[in-house]
Amino acid sequence: MKWNRIGLESLTFPEPKKYTKEYLSNLEITNINLDEINELSTTKLEDFMPKEAKGLGKDFTSYVEEYYNSGISLHVPRNMKVEKPIILDFLMDDENPMVIDRNILVLEPNSEITVVINYKTKTQGHCFHNGLTKVYAKENSLVNIIKIQNLNDKSHNFDSNLAIIEGEGNINWVSIELGGNITGSNFTTILNGDASQGNLSSIYLGDGDRKLDLGYSMIHKGRKSNSNIETKGVLMDDSKKVFRGNLIFKKGARTSKGVEGEYVILLDPAVKSDSIPGLFCEEDDVSGEHAASAGQIDKDKLFYLMSRGLSEREAKKLIIQAAFRPVVDKIPSEELRNSINTEIERRIINE
Amino acid sequence: MKKKLLDIKNLKVNIEDQEILKGIDLEINPGEIHVIMGPNGGGKSTLAYTLMGHPRYEVTEGQILFDGEEIKDLSPDKRAKKGVFLSFQYPEEIPGVTVEEFLRTSKTAVSGEQQKLIPFKKLLKSKMEELEMKDEYASRYLNLGFSGGEKKKNEILQMSILEPKLSILDETDSGLDVDAIRIVAEDVNRLQNGNRSVLVITHYNKLLDYLKPDFVHILLDGKIVKSGGLELAEEIDKYGYEGIKAKFSRN
Ligand SMILES: Nc1ncnc2c1ncn2[C@@H]1O[C@H](COP(=O)(O)OP(=O)(O)OP(=O)(O)O)[C@@H](O)[C@H]1O
Ligand SMILES: [Mg+2]
Repeated sequence: MKWNRIGLESLTFPEPKKYTKEYLSNLEITNINLDEINELSTTKLEDFMPKEAKGLGKDFTSYVEEYYNSGISLHVPRNMKVEKPIILDFLMDDENPMVIDRNILVLEPNSEITVVINYKTKTQGHCFHNGLTKVYAKENSLVNIIKIQNLNDKSHNFDSNLAIIEGEGNINWVSIELGGNITGSNFTTILNGDASQGNLSSIYLGDGDRKLDLGYSMIHKGRKSNSNIETKGVLMDDSKKVFRGNLIFKKGARTSKGVEGEYVILLDPAVKSDSIPGLFCEEDDVSGEHAASAGQIDKDKLFYLMSRGLSEREAKKLIIQAAFRPVVDKIPSEELRNSINTEIERRIINE
Repeated sequence: MKKKLLDIKNLKVNIEDQEILKGIDLEINPGEIHVIMGPNGGGKSTLAYTLMGHPRYEVTEGQILFDGEEIKDLSPDKRAKKGVFLSFQYPEEIPGVTVEEFLRTSKTAVSGEQQKLIPFKKLLKSKMEELEMKDEYASRYLNLGFSGGEKKKNEILQMSILEPKLSILDETDSGLDVDAIRIVAEDVNRLQNGNRSVLVITHYNKLLDYLKPDFVHILLDGKIVKSGGLELAEEIDKYGYEGIKAKFSRN
């Protein structure tokens, strides 16, 4: 298989292996019924997931459907608001070098849930992640999904995220991409119902020879549906990134609105940054906006901070952390927020 | 003999290969207040930026001794750690970083001592009270959406927290209302009483009403053409720079 966008000549999926470690530590704190969960794990979500929700593509998603070794299925009953976030911690090591997680979330009307999935490695060896998360959020439900990826520099990371949102339902995706050698990450949200809402906030940090392919799509079908994509990134050393942000307005999506913004700070001349915003309308009465900027940190801002005693790296770190902050602050765990900030600091200060 | 704090000799500075400062000599002793006045475009900000170490300004000749040590090749942060401070004519806006966080980071860097959260909060609060700044500024993003005068006050707040040996105030009084000018002057005087030195760049005499400058210098076309006492500022007020220029060409 070829992965053209980030210049990868060939990619073969490894032989699937088991992931035997515990990754779901705090389910007992929630009041979700485990029977409901098990019942759902056999459901095929293709039944309600439309064809245009492809994720990273069939090769990736069918591999997960066939070989998944982990993941959760949650069925949140009507009116249930799960207060505490469900946290999944994947920590790959030499014995468990693969996470193929399939996650299914179904939210009945008026329910709420927050899920945090953290992907890390505890080895310098090659690890592999290919995941598929499918969400069905029914009327007036609210789902927050936070994905944090910090695999080691040799690892491959693929992730397909698909959601379908019914009337007045809400999804907030947060994606933090810090690690991996190759990352392919896709978030596709179908705003099916009237006044449904989809938000995606993401940050990424490219250093070394990291390659990132980020594809985000908001597909508006319902009337008065709203979407917002905000991506902030930093590229340094020889890293590469392709960003593809699509706002798609299908027939019937009248008076819908989509906004996307991608902002990238380029710290070194050898980095490569491509941004491909797409706007597709089958309906007139819609509004789609995109904004993008790519550039170095303003020299006068750096000078100002340095004149107050901050070294060049400290000054850059401060500006980058400030840019990332609105996204990091959406993570409902102080421990995770701190570990992300420490990681960013480590990468930028001891480059 | 007093030990000089700043000793500039024959300083020549280029911006993009164009000579802006054409041989400046200036000595400042501890505890002295110096004032630089001069027409627009004369090179006052250039001198200020050069002393702080902006990379755009290239020193082609001369020396900048600070505390007896050549600093012209040091990066701005190193100069800040030695005790140089610049209050910017146009302070930068830094979204996402609050005034308090920034000042704590900055004080830690400049003093080399980790600033603990609670004692620093107290210090900041007392300094803000001195400057008659509302508490809420501490948690606002640095200079973001601040009015012209608020930005200038914020520069002085930074100065009084960092307690530099040499503060360069580049038109800090421009944009400040009369009360604010008095408050800022009081702060400058407090620093001076601590035997710290101040270089004030200004177009107006208002600030000088509250300060007791030791010297006034006129910077014109990249050179200090005249130095004297406070009477020089009055002369400028009366005759303007054109008048003073004319006087020079007659002599
Ligand atoms: N970045 C730059 N590129 C080119 N020329 C510059 C630059 N910065 C300053 N200059 C020039 O250098 C000269 C001195 O400017 P400077 O800002 O030092 O003047 P000033 O005395 O501070 O003036 P003012 O009273 O208006 O603040 C001016 O002619 C200005 O146009
Ligand atoms: Mg100026």
